[in-house]
Amino acid sequence: MEADKNNLRRCAAEPRDLVEHMSKMDAFAQAGKTAVMQNIQGTMQFLQRFPPFNQMENTHLAFLVEQCQLRFYAADESIIKPADGPVEHFYIVKQGRVVGERPHTAKRGTETTFEITSGECFPLAALLGERATRTEHLAAEDTFCLRLPKAAFIRLFTLSDVFRDFALRGVSSLLDQVNQQVQRKAVETLGTQYSLNTRLGELAMRHPVVCGPETALREAVRLMHEQQVGSIVIVDPQRAPIGIFTLRDLRQVVADASADFSAPIEQHMTHAPFFLSPEASAFDAAIAMTERHIAHVCLVEDKRLCGVVSERDLFSLQRVDLVHLARTIRNAPRIENLVSMRGEIGQLVERMLAHGASSTQITQIITLLNDHTVCRVIELAIQDKGDPGVPFSWLCFGSEGRREQTLHTDQDNGILFEARDAADAEEIRSKLLPLALHINQGLAQCGFTLCKGNIMASNPQLCLSRAEWARRFAAFIREATPENLLASSIYFDLRVVWGDESACEQLRQGILEQVADNRLFQRMMAENALRQRPPVGRFRDFVLTRQGDDKAATLDLKVQGLTPFVDGARLLALSNGIGANNTLERLRQLVTKDVIDPLDGAAYEEAYHFIQQTRMQQHQLQTRHNLPYSNRVDPDSLNHLDRRILRESLRQAQRLQASLTLRYQL
Amino acid sequence: MSLFAWLRPRQPRLNEHQARRLAQLPGAVALDERPLNAQRWVVLDLETSGLNVNRDQVLSIGAVVIEDGAIDLGQQFERTLHRHDHKLSPSVLIHGLGPSAIAAGCDPVEALLDLMEFIGESPILAFHAPFDQRMLSRALKDSLGYRLQHPFIDVAELAPQLNPNATLREAGLDDWTYYFGLEASERHHASADALVTAELALILFSQAKRQHIDSPLALEQRLSGWRRRQQQRQLF
Repeated sequence: MEADKNNLRRCAAEPRDLVEHMSKMDAFAQAGKTAVMQNIQGTMQFLQRFPPFNQMENTHLAFLVEQCQLRFYAADESIIKPADGPVEHFYIVKQGRVVGERPHTAKRGTETTFEITSGECFPLAALLGERATRTEHLAAEDTFCLRLPKAAFIRLFTLSDVFRDFALRGVSSLLDQVNQQVQRKAVETLGTQYSLNTRLGELAMRHPVVCGPETALREAVRLMHEQQVGSIVIVDPQRAPIGIFTLRDLRQVVADASADFSAPIEQHMTHAPFFLSPEASAFDAAIAMTERHIAHVCLVEDKRLCGVVSERDLFSLQRVDLVHLARTIRNAPRIENLVSMRGEIGQLVERMLAHGASSTQITQIITLLNDHTVCRVIELAIQDKGDPGVPFSWLCFGSEGRREQTLHTDQDNGILFEARDAADAEEIRSKLLPLALHINQGLAQCGFTLCKGNIMASNPQLCLSRAEWARRFAAFIREATPENLLASSIYFDLRVVWGDESACEQLRQGILEQVADNRLFQRMMAENALRQRPPVGRFRDFVLTRQGDDKAATLDLKVQGLTPFVDGARLLALSNGIGANNTLERLRQLVTKDVIDPLDGAAYEEAYHFIQQTRMQQHQLQTRHNLPYSNRVDPDSLNHLDRRILRESLRQAQRLQASLTLRYQL
Repeated sequence: MSLFAWLRPRQPRLNEHQARRLAQLPGAVALDERPLNAQRWVVLDLETSGLNVNRDQVLSIGAVVIEDGAIDLGQQFERTLHRHDHKLSPSVLIHGLGPSAIAAGCDPVEALLDLMEFIGESPILAFHAPFDQRMLSRALKDSLGYRLQHPFIDVAELAPQLNPNATLREAGLDDWTYYFGLEASERHHASADALVTAELALILFSQAKRQHIDSPLALEQRLSGWRRRQQQRQLF
């Protein structure tokens, strides 16, 4: 005999397992005693799978659920739209998918601006701003939403800190959570809380040791010794720093036999010391130290000295130290020393990631250290092979040119020199090519993989005079063949790493003028920029492909995620006379020039940033597990939050492409 | 004592307060032509000691409300009934209500009064509604001496009527839940089954409106027409 009349047929066919139901009986006996009803409990359990509900107190969550309506929206049904007036409800998707449709800026149809699925909420900004939504929210498929009236939303807002925090900060609070996750992981591995984003003011705990310019050198050194510090800042009567004297300076004084220790310190100090605001980050200080080869940074507020941060303060918790590394690279006596230091760069990146450094900070550091390495390899090559006797500049292209390198990088380089005429150019080239080959090989030893496409300075076609380069670039723009378009996407991100920069700037100006004039070339570049479609589908989370005999389907973070941003930003920058190379810098300048909307610019930047970060974490994971480097990721291997932000980030790439389609009427 | 006393139905014993509550229960209202969204519905699910409508007992009651075209999670009804003579039967394997739960349940008189106050004058939706209707009628008659006259609409009938292309025959609640991709938190529990039935009903109402069936009465008429055709089909 069966008692479930709801499923007569099914029950008869499937006898139930007694043990399972005995345990269930206990659960029911238990359930009868609790005040919270089964369905409220069930809905709470559902919500607890998602942030911020997973962090809310149970009573607050129960309040939320009890105040909710569960509503059904058939596919394509409108849920809220701008014409509805000020938003009266807060929605949580229980099941199904909601898309935001905004009219296209150019009044042609609509574009999907976002997608909301299970456990996600809308429309926070409009609800908090007590205004109508700017985007029509439609059910993309049959969808159930929990709908909370505004009054209850406000009540919850005052009750729950977690909920308030989430509501106020929306998706950026999700990004914060990602960062917190990264930091938590760092704490687990390092056992300490330390971030490169720490304010310098917090790092400089001690009062700086100071003296006046007239102070005798001996007296100043005595002060340093008493206070056990490595530097003393020389200040004027208003306490503005006018110089700094460090232990390194003292070594020099001691080495000089004729030094007079009773002379005023003024004569031995470094004038106009570098300074930052106490609001600047540890990262800013690290960059400044690496670039300037200094070990101390003064902190100045309102023109008054308020602290000193030393290299040791910054890196006391790190085994690998950035400044030291940069200095060692620049002074490496032989290629072999540089080779051994590549491993240390890897460790440094690993530690920075663990310390919660952003992808932008890391690419910046890698670029800096790589630039130092390239310069040192060139200097060593000149030492080895002798000075060719002609001035030249070492160019780099591609990601190196854009300062977006990760640890695994190909060589994309060339040489630029000045020549009177074709014959002169030929002669100079013959002098430079052997040196270039030597440099390319040196770089290969240091871990810069030789370029398969032979985009290297030792290729006679890439060791050119300024006039030859200019002709070559002009041809790319004039004849927009597929090969030339591909070439322009590599070469037009050029930058000087070593040598004089003025000739390269002249070339860049030439490119900018010609691209601005050539609408057809821009259009072709736009078509090119649309080739890689971001892997998000209308009906699925991600559009994945299976590679070879991979178990899981994956997507390519670099080609499908970053390339759309890189290509789009390059095209818009070149077309609008922007000389910057870096993708984020290009986006920022495009916003300044009103080419793209500030909100869009910020969204693109955040999205690009997140994809790059995910890619680096992926690389780090691969290193740890001794796997070959790959840019492919299985979204299912990411946690819920990361997966959701990745999807949103890829959708931003899609939007950037859609804006190009419109701009160039493709 | 009259000789025929044992022939007369035994009057349930209610205390004064209960009798007053019984007297104040609103009566049933017939289905009318207001828009579907303007109708308050109660979606009901019963767990019983078996499938025999003449002999088995109602063990627990779950009900949710559809109002303003949505399920109002703030209005829910959930009771386990105390049955002193309840014996463990195989049906426990379905509803999971063990003797301890039943013993801990509340007085059927109070529970049924609560239920009827909760229902008010709203029509009732249920999956395989005739079963719930008969079980509840008998329980109300036995415990309260109350005659249930509320209109019932059967979601198990509504679903195939509105989805003729669904090739489900004699489909159960699980089948339709699966068909519409619904997620049920915990099934075979009166409350959870009532909720998932209500979700199903929201989808069906949305389909009905698209077919211009936009009142409780129109829904009922469409169903009886369909029922007639089904019967004729069986005759030929």
